[in-house]
Amino acid sequence: MTLQIELNGVNKFYGAYHALKDINLAIEKGTFVALVGPSGCGKSTLLRSLAGLEKITTGEMKIAGERMNDVPPRKRDIAMVFQSYALYPHMTVEQNLTYSLRMRGVKKAEARKAAQEVAATTGLTQLMHRYPRELSGGQRQRVAMSRAIIRHPKAFLFDEPLSNLDAALRVHMRKEIRALHDRLHATSVYVTHDQIEAMTMADHVVVMRDGVIEQQGRPLDLYDRPANRFVAGFIGSPAMNFIPAVVGEGGAHAVLDFGTTRARLALGDLVAPGLTATVGIRPEHMTIVPEGEGSFDIPVGIVESTGSATYIASATRPELTVVETVRGGVRPGDIVGLAVDPMHLHLFDTEGKRIEVEKARSDADASLRRQLAGATSEQVPV
Amino acid sequence: MSDQWRNRLMLAVALLLAAIYLFPLYWMYVTALKTGSAMFATPPKFLPSEPQWGIYSFVWESRNMGRYLWNSLVIALGAVSLIAVLGVGCAYVLARYRNAWVDVGLFLILMLQVLPASLMVTPIFVGFSQFGLLETPRFAVILAIAAKNMPFFVVLVRATFMSVPMELEEAALVDGNSRIGAFFNIALPLARNGILVSAILIFMQAFGEFVYSKSMIQAVELQPASVGLNTFMGPNTNEWNNIMAYATIYVTPVLAVFVLLQRRIVSGLTSGALK
Repeated sequence: MTLQIELNGVNKFYGAYHALKDINLAIEKGTFVALVGPSGCGKSTLLRSLAGLEKITTGEMKIAGERMNDVPPRKRDIAMVFQSYALYPHMTVEQNLTYSLRMRGVKKAEARKAAQEVAATTGLTQLMHRYPRELSGGQRQRVAMSRAIIRHPKAFLFDEPLSNLDAALRVHMRKEIRALHDRLHATSVYVTHDQIEAMTMADHVVVMRDGVIEQQGRPLDLYDRPANRFVAGFIGSPAMNFIPAVVGEGGAHAVLDFGTTRARLALGDLVAPGLTATVGIRPEHMTIVPEGEGSFDIPVGIVESTGSATYIASATRPELTVVETVRGGVRPGDIVGLAVDPMHLHLFDTEGKRIEVEKARSDADASLRRQLAGATSEQVPV
Repeated sequence: MSDQWRNRLMLAVALLLAAIYLFPLYWMYVTALKTGSAMFATPPKFLPSEPQWGIYSFVWESRNMGRYLWNSLVIALGAVSLIAVLGVGCAYVLARYRNAWVDVGLFLILMLQVLPASLMVTPIFVGFSQFGLLETPRFAVILAIAAKNMPFFVVLVRATFMSVPMELEEAALVDGNSRIGAFFNIALPLARNGILVSAILIFMQAFGEFVYSKSMIQAVELQPASVGLNTFMGPNTNEWNNIMAYATIYVTPVLAVFVLLQRRIVSGLTSGALK
């Protein structure tokens, strides 16, 4: 596979503000990459830098093997779909579609033919002579997409293209964009703040925060093995539960701290005893069982049901959310047991970094040796 | 009080105020048609009993108004063209780039707007005469009017450009246009209405300009209509009907254009105000 987009040590400053911090990214040809993160994380800046609308301060940027640092947008051969669609209001749909071809000196008849072909695939044939103001939101979105695909660019850049659509249309367009990507074998970079869009559409997800890439990889890898607490909380819906904990003696269990009460939770692997950590459990990896039969008991706070799933929030601090797909008779105020699958536990150290079990094991061994040498670990009553 | 009555009262007040405001215009039209004795009658007559329609052709010929109006037109069109060509670029840059120097520039531009023509005319006159610009007095006046009205134009057109989203030009850049091409292809057509309206307002001001023309144009055959109107004035002026007829011929075409375009002008002025 050839690399279509390469970023090496890219930095971007706005005056003293450090917007992109040492970004390294390699995107293979034909990959659908999602840049995801909270607003202000630099994902849009990164996309605009790829388009050439922003100039990177240091580092190197390559598209299809060519250095692009000082190349103006029009010579980069990329297409971009803007959040506001940015359709030219004084041009008809057809003129909007053919604009980029006309700029490249394609003959009028040829450009019209290309527009007809694209319009046929995106269902715009009937709307060619309308102006953008005469179209619905979904139709405008299609025009914006068609304008990008008409000229077979080296890469597609999407800047939150679905955020102005209603929920139903958004789910529909998500599939359509992905289908389009597969049909064109295109390289796409897709910016979104919606982790579900990123997870469902992308081959490769890049999670950003404060101008830094927190983690990148395949969507399910990010879900299964988040590199830090931020990624763990960002990927997955409803969000992962985090509970402060201390690893108990022997390293085989953690003592969860619910403020006034404590709970003992078996760990799948040995971890250094006495280690202060945060335990992360996804709502879908816990099940409600009768009192006393689970890993520990919790009082039930709020019960919400969407029909397909029931969200049970505990009356503990921190609050735990559990997702149940079978309807149970759980009512607020009940005391229920929680069965936690030890294979789906995540541990994060005090700085928020993932504690890898392999590494934790060796740490645990070292700690055990230290213990044998006379050090005592803190014992917390349960 | 019901809404209906309140609306009627408001309408009555509005009509009254409009009547007061438009009375001088009405008086101009009426006086032009009056005979000498009717003009000075007390109590004044609000409708002329024997309208003197022949007065228009008399004033037109005796005052050689065709020449005056031509000069006014030359000066107004010259000033508007100069302002439009220079001002559009200036307004665009001020709309698209924000930094300390742009703020300083905007402040200076607004400062210029504060200075009245009667104050500026002396230094401008001295400067122009040094450069020999008074050899071509109409051009000198065009230059002076352009300098005076440029700030007004730039501020209005800047607001128009700011209402054109930057993303449209960015889309054009990605689509293969150059920075200058994006300006001419996207920003300029979308700002066309605002530019047109501002230009019309400038034209109407320049068409009636008096201070610079009076001071800089000595030759009668190059003077505009505003200065021509002033030649009626003397210590014993009493030909009010002729003056009003002159004013009617001078003002009515401009008024007609304004009334025809007023809807566009109002919408153009407020287009940048709301998203």
